[in-house]
Amino acid sequence: MRRVLLLILATVGIGGSVAYAATLSVGSGHLWAGGQSLTKSTCTLSGTASTTDAYVDENSPTSSFGGATTLSVGPKTNKRTWMLVRFDLSSCSIPTTGGADSATLNLHITTAPTSSQTLDVSTISSTWSGSTTWNTVPSAGSSFASITTGTTNNVTKSVTVTADVDALIKSSSANYGWLITEASSNANVTTLFGSSENGTTANQPQLVINYEK
Amino acid sequence: MKLLAKILGTAFAAAATLAACGAAATLALASSPLSSGNASVTSCGVSALGATRTVDNSGNVTQVSIPSVPSACAGATLAVTLVGSGGASLGSASATVPAGGGTMNFSSFGATVSATNLLSYSYAVTGP
Repeated sequence: MRRVLLLILATVGIGGSVAYAATLSVGSGHLWAGGQSLTKSTCTLSGTASTTDAYVDENSPTSSFGGATTLSVGPKTNKRTWMLVRFDLSSCSIPTTGGADSATLNLHITTAPTSSQTLDVSTISSTWSGSTTWNTVPSAGSSFASITTGTTNNVTKSVTVTADVDALIKSSSANYGWLITEASSNANVTTLFGSSENGTTANQPQLVINYEK
Repeated sequence: MKLLAKILGTAFAAAATLAACGAAATLALASSPLSSGNASVTSCGVSALGATRTVDNSGNVTQVSIPSVPSACAGATLAVTLVGSGGASLGSASATVPAGGGTMNFSSFGATVSATNLLSYSYAVTGP
């Protein structure tokens, strides 16, 4: 009886050994596996330290308004005003290998137009500064978002700018912020937004970035 | 005696099953040499990989770039899995490492992947 049991155990053992050896056949060439974890965080930018903004006036084509406390956007032919805004992301310390999960540009309307307007948002593709004028306004792409102003003062409008900010994280010269214009009407109205120089913090342009690194 | 017959029957069935697995496995062994340790299983010089991704304005991943893939991995398959909460796969892609290695770009993951949900990447280099 004992011999029979030993025979049984030996038989099972041999079968098991053959099966175990077979599992080694998986790796026949290069084999490597690894992972990379991402860290999520949020950075909010506002104020003159991180914001450059200005507006340009067709009626004053050589004047600059980089120090104004409000930024004007108006559609009236020969009196058009356009607003420019961009942010310096360096204080967020996001590595160039990171990226934006989402990014939102918040603009505060301090004085709404008397009739609701639809403003166009486009990405600026060349450099500019607070001393930019109508005659030196930078080039911009086609509109990728719009802002419906309404007629109520002191409301904040949000624009999703994720793709542009993601590109900015990877290269600080990927774009130069956003140009706000209006081409859909010829009304003699203006929309005034708070600038980074505005004394009320809540009125200033703000960029909220949810990012990974 | 009946008990012994049952034991023997069970034992031979188990042995036959395991041996069958082993026999199937030996077919794979014939395709390439198999030795112990790292002699036939190498990492082709990969110690770590790091990806960057781009997104569209909706925050969905449009491309994953993996730089510095070693040239020694040429011909192998690099697979990347985009991993979300709880280790769930959000999407994946794979491609053959080109001659010379370098940067590999992936732009199709089998599903739309929100960057917000992307928490990690998993990589695997296999073959050839």
